[in-house]
Amino acid sequence: MTEVPAAVTLHGVKKAFPLGNGRTLDALNIEHWSVSAGSCTVLTGPSGSGKTTLLNLIAGVSLPTAGTVAVHDTDISALPEARRDSFRARHIGYVFQTFNLLSAFTALENVMLSMMFADAIPRHEQRRRAGEVLARLGLGARLSHKPPQLSRGEQQRIAIARALANRPQLILADEPCASLDADTAREVLDELLGVCREASTTLLVVSHETAVLTAGDQIVDITAINRPEYRLRAVESV
Amino acid sequence: MTLLTVALKYLRGRFVASALTSLSVALGISLVIASVLLSRGIQQGFMEGTTDYSLLVGAKGSPTQLVLNVVFRMDLPTPNIAYRTYLDLKNDPRVEVAVPVAMGDAYQGFRYVATTADYFAPFPWRRKTFAIAEGRFFRADTPEQPAYEAVLGADAARRTGLRVSDRFHEGEEMAEYPLTVVGILRATNSADDRAIFFSLASYWEMNEVSRKMKVKPLTAVLVRPKRMSDLPGLHRGLNISVESQGVFPSAVLLSIFNILSLVDEVVAVILGAVVLVVVLYLFVSMYSATLERKREIATMRALGARRATILGIVLLESCALTVIGGVLGIAGGHGAAYVGASMLAGRAGPVGNLFVVGLLEPVVFGGVVALGALAGLLPAVLAYRTEVAENLAPLS
Repeated sequence: MTEVPAAVTLHGVKKAFPLGNGRTLDALNIEHWSVSAGSCTVLTGPSGSGKTTLLNLIAGVSLPTAGTVAVHDTDISALPEARRDSFRARHIGYVFQTFNLLSAFTALENVMLSMMFADAIPRHEQRRRAGEVLARLGLGARLSHKPPQLSRGEQQRIAIARALANRPQLILADEPCASLDADTAREVLDELLGVCREASTTLLVVSHETAVLTAGDQIVDITAINRPEYRLRAVESV
Repeated sequence: MTLLTVALKYLRGRFVASALTSLSVALGISLVIASVLLSRGIQQGFMEGTTDYSLLVGAKGSPTQLVLNVVFRMDLPTPNIAYRTYLDLKNDPRVEVAVPVAMGDAYQGFRYVATTADYFAPFPWRRKTFAIAEGRFFRADTPEQPAYEAVLGADAARRTGLRVSDRFHEGEEMAEYPLTVVGILRATNSADDRAIFFSLASYWEMNEVSRKMKVKPLTAVLVRPKRMSDLPGLHRGLNISVESQGVFPSAVLLSIFNILSLVDEVVAVILGAVVLVVVLYLFVSMYSATLERKREIATMRALGARRATILGIVLLESCALTVIGGVLGIAGGHGAAYVGASMLAGRAGPVGNLFVVGLLEPVVFGGVVALGALAGLLPAVLAYRTEVAENLAPLS
């Protein structure tokens, strides 16, 4: 049997947050964890257990206190910030719970923005490609609408289109259905899963939703991989 | 999409705030441009109005009063000099042209200027040209047979409403000596537009005192020497006399401008304060806009935007606001200066050409954009330093 390569690999990852007065809060302590390429992994766990912190480390928007985070063999945690930003733009798509669309921009422009940041698609191609992705998600008639003119389901579809625009190898979705009603959540999830499977894109979803849990290839409870001390700790002076 | 289109989209997204900010920049720039243009235009207008004649000869007294009254029709007339002074100068071999001038009362605020045809003569060295728009020049007459013919400057004709062949007089005591309009001059953009010209003979005969005088009075003589090298000698000779003085009009103006330079400095300080307030307003506007969209900035960073990209967007927004405000301000400043110049031309004196784009506009424009970048720098750094994870947390 052929071994499936890992899309995400964590080794000895720790994340602690300074609290001031020389104290820190240990949020993550993961010895080893990996996500298979092309899979749909659902990450679950109680509130405050470090799920979003973990996504942020994988996306490279924050750095681990110790250890390495690799995305497709690239140690993202070791990259200088500018290269990390560039890597994220080209290889990782991010879907947020609250959509995080830019209100001054139309649906089409929101998608084109992520292409502009990635700088991997010729400028004249960006508009066409953004239109295609949005049409694929049923938003072909909503290209020139701004977020406040759209329903929540449509907004989340735009956010998904934005995450898919650069054809990333990995999509991170943080509670993508939490702000949607049950029916819309189901539709949006089906579309997200559909496009990811179609393109063999690895999907790592943080969710508590039953619909999401049942749709994933594997469900990982973060408490099973994360062993933080969960206590306030005074930093020892050297 | 480019950084500039992103910046402009953001500005459009908060249209009212952006428009108000640009408007405040435009108003500040308008004030600066209008003040500088008017100040420069007034100086230029005065200098241009006085450069035709090198020397002005009048009664002993204030040189400033003499120049303001004879050349610019301002202030009170100086005491008279004898007509002989004019004749002496006219016959002086060093003098090319001498033009006698007598300043009289005024009709509806437009000064009577008695002179000869030489006043309007097109000498090759003259920058100013006189042309008749309607009618003709007044005839050369004699005290025995005064013609009482008047030629009106363009402004004087327009504002008094007098037309060719109209008769007019100032006050009941002058009703016996009405003047007849025989001509109207084309505009010269000088104080001459606000004058009413007629012959010396008519002037002397209209005035009861001068009518009885054997030695006829003049206010001043305008002198052009044959050679500029003769000017100091002429000047010295005239100033030795106990009755007359010779003044260089341009030198008098320069000394007036030097005295007024203190006012210029005060105005410059006030304008500096205005610019500072505008920059502060721009800074506050950009700063609050940046604070309001820290979440959007964090989102852009999460999508892969580099810190430098975010910095660039905010700086471009700030610069775009000042570019729009700067362009509007320069146009508005020219408009305000034009309105101000029209008002001044009617009430005080000529104003030079305000529509010559010189170094001022690019310097002000460049300065404004640089200040805009400066005002946007701190908000841009704030945006640059936005922590992604911290600002991406879901809204409660």
